[in-house]
Amino acid sequence: MSQTSDPAILIAQIKDKLGIGDDKVYAVMGEFSEPEDLVEAGRRIREMGYTKIDAMTPFPVHGIDEAIGIPYSKIGWIVICGALAGITTAQVLIYYVGAIDYPLIIGGKPLFDFTYSIPPTFELAVLFSAITTFMCTWALSGLPRLYHPSMNYRSAHRASDDRFLLVVEADDPKFDAQKTAQDMRSVGANDVEVVEG
Amino acid sequence: MSNSSHGPNHGLHHGAAESASYQLEYARWSKGRNALMLAALISIVACIAGYIQDPDRFFRSYLVAFCYTSAIGLAAFFFVMVQFLSGSAWSVTMRRFMENIMITLPVGALLFVPLAFGLNHIYPWTNPVIAKATEELRAKSDYLTNHFFILRTYGYFLLLSIWIFAIYRQSIKADTNRSIWQMRIASRWSAPGLLLVVVVGTLAAYDWLMTVEPSWYSTIFGLYYLADGTVAFFALLILICLAFRQAGVLQKQINIEHYHDLGKWLFAMTCFYTYMAFSQYLLIWYANIPDETQFFRHRMPGTWLYISLSLPFLRFFIPFFILISRPAKRNLKILGVMAAYSLVVVYLDLYWVVMPVFYPNGPQIHWLDFATLGVTVSVTGLVFWSRFRRHAMVPAGDLRLEQSLHFENA
Repeated sequence: MSQTSDPAILIAQIKDKLGIGDDKVYAVMGEFSEPEDLVEAGRRIREMGYTKIDAMTPFPVHGIDEAIGIPYSKIGWIVICGALAGITTAQVLIYYVGAIDYPLIIGGKPLFDFTYSIPPTFELAVLFSAITTFMCTWALSGLPRLYHPSMNYRSAHRASDDRFLLVVEADDPKFDAQKTAQDMRSVGANDVEVVEG
Repeated sequence: MSNSSHGPNHGLHHGAAESASYQLEYARWSKGRNALMLAALISIVACIAGYIQDPDRFFRSYLVAFCYTSAIGLAAFFFVMVQFLSGSAWSVTMRRFMENIMITLPVGALLFVPLAFGLNHIYPWTNPVIAKATEELRAKSDYLTNHFFILRTYGYFLLLSIWIFAIYRQSIKADTNRSIWQMRIASRWSAPGLLLVVVVGTLAAYDWLMTVEPSWYSTIFGLYYLADGTVAFFALLILICLAFRQAGVLQKQINIEHYHDLGKWLFAMTCFYTYMAFSQYLLIWYANIPDETQFFRHRMPGTWLYISLSLPFLRFFIPFFILISRPAKRNLKILGVMAAYSLVVVYLDLYWVVMPVFYPNGPQIHWLDFATLGVTVSVTGLVFWSRFRRHAMVPAGDLRLEQSLHFENA
């Protein structure tokens, strides 16, 4: 174990000695008191070459996705598949029930017609899209989840109150606990900590 | 990239110094005015010539053109009030454009004058022989009289104008006094105004367009007309913003984020129109009552059938699948093309509503269609443009302006 004066590393080492906490390092986390500082720091951290960056904020901060390089959500493509499935289901169901399985002339209308099949088709497309969106949002976010390593961070609870957290995750290829903690401090983060979990 | 909600002091710094720069330069303004004046003069002269040559055709084309610009004005009026009531921040930078489109609506009272003299060229109920012979028309004989029709139309314009001037005045006042009270007063007018514009718009659509076929009934037709207007309004707003951008004006103030939102609105209103159009079609198809089905029956013979069949594609499928994508809405070229396209298909739609009654076997395009559209567009355009002479292009006194300038889509 090398000697270091970095308090973030020291705390991790002390925890190790006492046998509390996991050996596995999750990330280096730091906090900011202004959203503008978070965005600016996020951009600078990204410019240093980090790729696995995350941010935790009490409210949506404009520009943070772009600053830390979070790509635009792909959920739209999944949802349109849900919508198409809904459209197909509705059309097939209405056609099969009305024209094949139990043909019955009602009000002199044809056994199948796009005109009256569109409203249920629309409804089913909306329903399938909504369910797909809901399920995929949960699945893609890894929910439900009762524990997250970021909770080990001292000020984690303040991310839902008055602080803006910046995270550089340990699986980042450029990650090195000591160096990353220094980088975090150099972009102005307070309370920088190596978080295990 | 500073955040919107954290700049209470920011806003106050700008104030007077910035509002001066939001003024359109006089040289540019007079250039625009001259161009519009020239267009107005040419098209008015053309229309007078057309009227002498073929008065029937003139009034028919003029009705479409008049309803087209009025629909845009009604939609602008509606959405200005929506901005005030919802307290929208994103739209503040282009709200003055919306307001200046809105204030072109009262000039419809002037544009209606030719129609008032030509009712008997358009509306079959003005003919006493037809009015007496048809049962539906006998029942409506007290409502559908020349005088009452003209009186009603001026009633609509009077009511709308009262609201429009009241709201416009507050917005202009806020430019200089930067008071929250102007916003509050404008909101007070806006709530009943929303009701007014839908009721008046519906009645106006019944009068101006539906009585061309006076035995036809469709209660949703008013919303159909208003929905047409909303599509054309957002398309026009996008084109106006892009034109200003091309000229190097307000490039920073109306940025990609604002265009993205305008694109969303254009997309949403395209869907709204489709909803109205399809609802009307579905109910008429389902009930299958001659009074109602005649509308579509009259749009099936000859080449009208092709237009009727292509309208769902032109007005829904094509714009829907292009505008649904985020990159398309954020690409100013695609957005501009789609806006121009939407303006054209809305006109085509109104043309398809009016013209089959007069030309049952297919559209007969006439140069008067363009000349009459030239008159209504250039006259309303002049009113729109005249506002920039005195007033800023951006509601510089609005307290949400700073927020709007830094607005971003999440």
